[in-house]
Amino acid sequence: MRWFRFAALILLVTVLQASALANLNVGPDLLLILVAFFCFYCNTTEAITTSFVIGFAADLISSPIPMGVHTISFGVFGTLLAYVHRVINIRNMPFQAVAIFTTAILAGALSQSLALFKGQIVAANIWTVLLGVSIYSGIVGPFLFLPSAWWMHIKTNRFARR
Amino acid sequence: MLFTWLMLAGSILIIAPTEWTSSFQLAFLRIFNWPLSIGENISLSARARGHVDDANAVPGEKYRALLNYCTSLEAQLREERERLDKLTGLRERFPFGNARLVEALVYPGKTHGEISVDKGKESQLAKGQFVLADNSIIGTVSDVSTGGARVNLFTSPTSNIPVEIAGTKRFMRGEGNNAAKILMMKDKPKIGAEVMAAKAPGLLNAPVIIGRVARCERNAESAVLWDVIVEPVCDMERLNDVVVIVMNPEKQPN
Repeated sequence: MRWFRFAALILLVTVLQASALANLNVGPDLLLILVAFFCFYCNTTEAITTSFVIGFAADLISSPIPMGVHTISFGVFGTLLAYVHRVINIRNMPFQAVAIFTTAILAGALSQSLALFKGQIVAANIWTVLLGVSIYSGIVGPFLFLPSAWWMHIKTNRFARR
Repeated sequence: MLFTWLMLAGSILIIAPTEWTSSFQLAFLRIFNWPLSIGENISLSARARGHVDDANAVPGEKYRALLNYCTSLEAQLREERERLDKLTGLRERFPFGNARLVEALVYPGKTHGEISVDKGKESQLAKGQFVLADNSIIGTVSDVSTGGARVNLFTSPTSNIPVEIAGTKRFMRGEGNNAAKILMMKDKPKIGAEVMAAKAPGLLNAPVIIGRVARCERNAESAVLWDVIVEPVCDMERLNDVVVIVMNPEKQPN
């Protein structure tokens, strides 16, 4: 695992998510797509670490949602996805899209629940937005795996179970 | 074991007071201000901007600012005339005579109907203070820390601001999509009518324009009532700097 390249990639994606994609009402969650990428193509330890780090990056740009919410939700469901991938080899793009969609829905639901627990007022249409973001992420996600794998020097035909 | 430790770290972040953790978010915005502004400009550059060919024409932003200023002045003048009629003797000569207007730069990256600004507790900003852009109210301060603050735009779904429309006082709820809604009005207001932010003791001592009526829809629960959609009178997508109204500021020691 090339951690310096990982840090650069996360920084770039975080800035992109907070600037260019911030003006979209419904858009792909690039950070969640990266969580799925590292869960599919790295070993379990690396997947857990990257899930929590990416969650922390998502917390930095998720104002007014309190910090810690995405750290926990991305960490929990990233870990779960990594363990599921150990049992069920998710190699086809449609299966990867479904996995990203499911992870986005579950992580988003947990994030909103934790935000409510912290006293954050949640918008009435949040579940509609969450569904739209999950669908968008599921569609776009698998196509972003190749450029991410190129940057991270990870072979995408490495599907061995760990 | 690794999972447990990382979950513990995440739990500490959640349990920690928001005043502490919000400094991380503001620090990120300060450090990456330049790349964030580039990214935001790229996304906004798709919008066509009108070119001013005629030398005598006024640019759109300046026109909006002047129109908003005039509308607010008219409302304030009406207030003064009513006071004169009632002979209260408690009227103020200037609506913001005892207020300090704090100029603040907006950090790029609007998230969840909120923007972040570069002034905080040290500039006497506090929760609930009204924020102006182009001489119109755009929202209220929702969170303050040292060195920065967050502003909840009135179009945010979590916003609920008291307003005056057609001589009546109502609450206006943000709808997202750059609009807000006033529910269940008995009389249908005119399209284009001004919506003013209502006075609030200690926060706003004169009505200021906040939006204009864009359209009216029949209420879903009661067809005889109207839901009024209000759109802002300034360009919320291109906010670069705002003004926070600090009423009755404390005098700073020299």
